[in-house]
Amino acid sequence: MALKPVTTPDVEAATIQLSIDGETVSTKQGVSLYDVISRMGKIVPAMCYHYTFDPFGSCGMCLVLQEGKKAPVRSCTAKAAEGMVIRTDGEDLFAARKKAVEKHLSVHPLDCPVCDADGHCELQDMAFQHEVTNLANAKQKNIPEDTRSIVLDFNMNRCIACGECINICKDLLRIDALQFMKKGGFTQVVAKGDQALDCEFCGDCLAVCPVGAITNKFSKYVYKPWQLRKTTTTCNYCGDGCQLYVETKDTEVVRVTSPLSWKNKWGDRGDTVDGHGGLCVRGRFGFQFIDSKERLTEPLLRQGSDLVPAPWIEALDAAAERLVQIKGRYGPDAIAGLITARCTNEELYVFQKFMRTVLGTNNLDSSARYGHLNFVRAVHQALGISRMMNTSADMTKAKAILVVGANVTETNPVASVRIKAAVGTYKASVIVVDSMQTNLAKLASHPTMVKPGTEGLFVKGLVRSVLDQDLIDSRVAAQAPDALNALKSAAQAVCLETVAAETGASVETIHEVAKIFAEAPRAVVLCGEGIVRRPHGYDNVLSLIDLAWVTGTFHKPGSGVNTFVEESNEQGAVDMGVAPEFLPGPVGYEDSTARRKFSEAWGMDVASAQPGQSLVEIIENCRAGKIKALYVVGENPVATLPKSCGVEEALSQLELLICQDPFLTETAQCAHLVFPACTFAEKDGTVTNQEGKVQFVRPALDPLGQSALDWHIMVGIANGMGSSLPYETTQDIQAEIRKLLPGYYNLGQPQPVAADPTAYLQNGYQDAVGARYATNGRADGSERPYDMTLIQLLYHSGKLSTKASGLMEISPNTKALRLSLEACEQLGVAEDGRVRVTSDQGSVELGVEADPSVLPGTCAFPEHFNDPPVKDLVPVEVDPVTRVPYFKLTRVTIEKV
Amino acid sequence: MDTPSQTKKLFDAVLFREIWKAMKVTFKHMFHRPMTFEYPREKRTIPDAHRGALGLLCYDDGRERCVGCDLCEAACPSRCIKVISEEDKSMPLQRYATEFYIDITKCVFCGYCVEACPVNALAMTKMYEYSTPDKRTLLFDKRRLYEIGEQHIEDAKKYLYAHNQEEDDDESRAYRYHFPQPVGKAEVSDS
Repeated sequence: MALKPVTTPDVEAATIQLSIDGETVSTKQGVSLYDVISRMGKIVPAMCYHYTFDPFGSCGMCLVLQEGKKAPVRSCTAKAAEGMVIRTDGEDLFAARKKAVEKHLSVHPLDCPVCDADGHCELQDMAFQHEVTNLANAKQKNIPEDTRSIVLDFNMNRCIACGECINICKDLLRIDALQFMKKGGFTQVVAKGDQALDCEFCGDCLAVCPVGAITNKFSKYVYKPWQLRKTTTTCNYCGDGCQLYVETKDTEVVRVTSPLSWKNKWGDRGDTVDGHGGLCVRGRFGFQFIDSKERLTEPLLRQGSDLVPAPWIEALDAAAERLVQIKGRYGPDAIAGLITARCTNEELYVFQKFMRTVLGTNNLDSSARYGHLNFVRAVHQALGISRMMNTSADMTKAKAILVVGANVTETNPVASVRIKAAVGTYKASVIVVDSMQTNLAKLASHPTMVKPGTEGLFVKGLVRSVLDQDLIDSRVAAQAPDALNALKSAAQAVCLETVAAETGASVETIHEVAKIFAEAPRAVVLCGEGIVRRPHGYDNVLSLIDLAWVTGTFHKPGSGVNTFVEESNEQGAVDMGVAPEFLPGPVGYEDSTARRKFSEAWGMDVASAQPGQSLVEIIENCRAGKIKALYVVGENPVATLPKSCGVEEALSQLELLICQDPFLTETAQCAHLVFPACTFAEKDGTVTNQEGKVQFVRPALDPLGQSALDWHIMVGIANGMGSSLPYETTQDIQAEIRKLLPGYYNLGQPQPVAADPTAYLQNGYQDAVGARYATNGRADGSERPYDMTLIQLLYHSGKLSTKASGLMEISPNTKALRLSLEACEQLGVAEDGRVRVTSDQGSVELGVEADPSVLPGTCAFPEHFNDPPVKDLVPVEVDPVTRVPYFKLTRVTIEKV
Repeated sequence: MDTPSQTKKLFDAVLFREIWKAMKVTFKHMFHRPMTFEYPREKRTIPDAHRGALGLLCYDDGRERCVGCDLCEAACPSRCIKVISEEDKSMPLQRYATEFYIDITKCVFCGYCVEACPVNALAMTKMYEYSTPDKRTLLFDKRRLYEIGEQHIEDAKKYLYAHNQEEDDDESRAYRYHFPQPVGKAEVSDS
């Protein structure tokens, strides 16, 4: 908002008064005059202004007259001062602004009919508003279009040099991929160093470009804005829950846009703490899977070795009949179900109800099991809550952010902008503990590189350091002295020198980081894959809670322990009780009152009191022949879990495998029955983002072919089995959820959570904490020299994004192992060389890619691709408490081929 | 009321006066130019500003004028136009219509699309003979529209002139908008 952002949100500037068009207005000193005028509801034309960055003042449109000055002044770069008298309207100002438009138009190509921005162009609007009909001395730039980038085309003939693209990239996103360059007598926007653009491709520059100078290659020249139907929906890729506009023409998706645009450029910089309205590369350019040719359009029924198309009625009948048979012959516990966390809340709810009441089994799980449940189980156990504690606003305003094992700029790019804002605007100390040189580590004040898999140990080191340095919050000592003493004695088992040796970080660093985190008035912990998807994930989250607790984080405003999630509705899956250990709410499954409540509400007995089986147990029992039927909704365990899990073998033992997916996945290829499901763009419902915001998903297209909504299919099977799920519309399901979980939707706002560790600290904490701190170090004892991690890429999300041709163009499967430059040299392999990677599980031949963000002694491969099957090299370890399978990290040897 | 006398009635009957009266009209027309003409052997001269079937035009070097800007679709009050455009990969910055449909059964012949066209690719011709037993053929596609334009190019140019849209070929090339690719005159071969 202000020209110079204040470094802390709590400092207030002096209030001043000025007169605008005869009205007296009071505002803060130093605020841009343009902001003051626009907040009065007056619109002064401006083309280079956007509230998300500092005023730039290049377009010369926002002219106003200030008393005492002869010439009009630019209101955006002028600061409001006491006693100013301003006039914003009048013939003379109109004429001056018209001159400015004419100046821009005189070097503008006027190829509007061809231009993609036609009808959605600020310069066009300005020309109409200011009645520009004749141009004297118009000249052409005749600059060839820059089509070097694979995503964006730069047509600098159309550029008005407003600098919005450069400013948003630099100020807000902190990527700084664009610059002005004087070329051929004109100032042009080029990628840094006049190279082909190679950045995160978030496309926010495209969104703010007021003319058609930056255009989208994936939809170039195929539309005009008035042909498109805009549907506001929620992105289906990660847990950030960004709002996006899916723009469709007839039956195809043409482009995806976002609320961030030059069309809504008036706002308060303070508002951006809730998000800037932009998107990331996946959201903006990864839409092609929606109307992909590979989509399933009709149900498939297995006949011999082939899957042949069958009519819906026949397929549903077959499913129902065989489920009834299996239930009758082997009992309900011979049936299990898996669902993806990309489904809507309503579908997840119907799924668990279908499994628990119609089938009568508690063997159900979702993809939240791959990691998020570690976090949920830990905070549920320790703090009585079931999701992350802070909002994005808290992240931005934090003074210290401890990011452990979370490569957030890759996994959750839009939420990571909040942390970048904390760094840039509020000068927060950001401590990044990671096994890769992540983008955030480059911006962070305290980048701390550790060896893969030692993030948890580092956290324990921090706890020890806090205790050693006596940084304990005074309220903690008073509240739970017994627990604190127990923690102190337990932490004696952690030797800081050992931690330093194991992790690779020095003891001084550990002390310094601990001090910064403990002393910050607003301290936020953000953990990610490095914690929840590595062995002892559950224990490591508990250690983080210990750290937060002893430093008094739970008493500080806007502070807490958080995680970001990989799939769009993992939080919803937990809230809807799609896990054997939870009922909707979530409440613990062992809670008999809750079970009674749901039995009454559903009019059917909630499945037996015995605990159900989770993902890994389901797979094991399939193999053992105890589970005879598996219902898989959108999940793809064959392609996700390593071969050593024996998923394919387990599935082949089944008497019935029902798959329901938009695509014929590896798992669906083994199925007896495949139902075609819809993608998010055809669905109606809600998803819950990681922050707890319940947001709408709205249908932008009709279901493709004969594909159907997931819950329609479930209701269909249930009806076939003779027990009805009484839903006709999504609203029916929402009404039931509202009744059972009052306030769940909460008008799309996150419900505040109150973390209270008291009960946890009093009941059995002393006994458990000792064991937790006794296990230290990486007990693998492997002789293999390299750590290999399966990483998530910015350009992909799970396996879904590999169906989006745009993203595959940006980031194809290079079939290359990412190695550090040093390792490349050591092994003596060039860029095009090949290596053989061997682990205890097997070996694979791969290409090589030097990646500066990979640390020496480590290597990485994207988890999104199975060709070659690198995932099979990784052993699977299962968490003893949460049954989360860990399969992202292993030790390997690399040899040159 | 004045009724004719019995005598006058008798005279009129004897002299067949009524027939003479009628024959007078008939004979008068023998010396007239005919009011009707024998369509389809004879055809009417149609004014240049006549709004007949729509056609798409090419420049005289054979290049399609249409840039697929879709302004005609936006201007059409009966919503009978559909344009699907794409980038012309062979030429930088060039856009063209891959498909172009006019549902002539819906068209109200208002001429707004012609006015909206920034490159004067659309024009109305003097063609009106497209009656057919198969209504489906009345959804004119791009090929048909260019055919009409080619056959009636002179009429189309006269239409544009009559509606003050385009004076001559030179103006069609150096038109209101500057496009990255200038359009040249048709090359006259030396042979």
